[in-house]
Amino acid sequence: MKHIARLLHIAMPAAIIMAFLYAPTAEVHGAPGRLLFFHVPMAWISALAFLTAGLLSMAHLAGRGRFLDSTARHSAEAGLAFTFLATASGSVWSKLSWGSYWNWDPRQTSIVFLMLIYIAYFSLDSALRGKTNRGRIASAYLILAMAVMPFFVFLFPRFLGMSLHPQSGTLETDPATRITLLVSIAAHTLLYLHILSLRNRTHRLEQNIRNIAR
Amino acid sequence: MVKDIIRNMRKDFRVEFREKSALQIAFSFAFIATLSVGLVMGGASTGARERSIILWLIMFFSAMSGLAHAFVREEEKGTALLLRLTSSPSAVFTAKLLFNLAFFLALQFLITLLFVFFVEGDVASPFPFALTILSGGTALASASTILSAMAARAGVRGALFPVMSLPITLPVLFAATGATAEAMERPGLAPGGDIIFLLAFSGAIIAVSYLVFEYIWIDE
Repeated sequence: MKHIARLLHIAMPAAIIMAFLYAPTAEVHGAPGRLLFFHVPMAWISALAFLTAGLLSMAHLAGRGRFLDSTARHSAEAGLAFTFLATASGSVWSKLSWGSYWNWDPRQTSIVFLMLIYIAYFSLDSALRGKTNRGRIASAYLILAMAVMPFFVFLFPRFLGMSLHPQSGTLETDPATRITLLVSIAAHTLLYLHILSLRNRTHRLEQNIRNIAR
Repeated sequence: MVKDIIRNMRKDFRVEFREKSALQIAFSFAFIATLSVGLVMGGASTGARERSIILWLIMFFSAMSGLAHAFVREEEKGTALLLRLTSSPSAVFTAKLLFNLAFFLALQFLITLLFVFFVEGDVASPFPFALTILSGGTALASASTILSAMAARAGVRGALFPVMSLPITLPVLFAATGATAEAMERPGLAPGGDIIFLLAFSGAIIAVSYLVFEYIWIDE
């Protein structure tokens, strides 16, 4: 955990400095184009947090360890925050690139779908507060949501048309932009792991305090 | 196992028909919602896409008003504990799923008839239309059954069930509205991939439901 914090303290300032000083200004969008270095990592963390929460839920139901359900919840909390940020930054990027804040682009819509799942999950989780089966039922919901995900991957391009986002391998970028983007993705991944470990630690402290109070 | 399923299903139908109130409310909701939409539209000309969206929204909210009942009733009346002692989780889930499927298909029959009659929903290809309604209904009922078990265990009434259900059933609404609109406006249409998609969705949801139901139903 200490290593994650140390790495984050190096990687995040490096990503910010590289995004503003090292990467070249985008030809079409100019300086606002630097939003790319924050929007893409945020969208990546939204999906990563969802996947992690789903896998931890599976492990929890399989009885692979204590606190896995609460770690899944903390991952979903971070995921929800990043989903909001990705949607907001994506809307600004969309206005710059395609002229309007919302375009019904499959990838834009997928992020909103993720947000809906997170909100529904937290509604269920808060309704279960204080119940013995809280972790198991909330985990079952996340697993069900994960099972539905591939159907969206199949449906969205069909109903919403092809994505306006550049497809992987088709985006021609100079090496400096590519390196900056990779550093920023790594820094945001470390930030997510750091948030997750901090939330786990505070949760365990809360549990210990509660046990002592009893 | 089969005997348990039949016994539980028979019990569910008997209780529902004896009490009638839940059935009556669900059918009244479907009836009033469809008629109200027809009246509000007042014969206004709408495209097939808009009509199919309205039809599936009525179906979704009818499912929300009626399908949570099977599990909620067991928790409210305190019979869930007895059910846990006498039947396996798979038998309970199968009985509830079959009950919800039968109940929702009956509800859909009423909604579709009223909708076609009052909203002037001309159907150019009746066979694919009927198949879409059936397969979409199966998908909605399958997803609603496992979600209603979670909502019942949470013990919260009101908006929780629709809030949980909407993100999970969105693929069904997407595919079903598209296929229904096509069946409404294109004559001589052959049943297509959307029906397979809806059946595949039902299959996937039912498979995952069997895997996780035990964890929802049995206390730690």
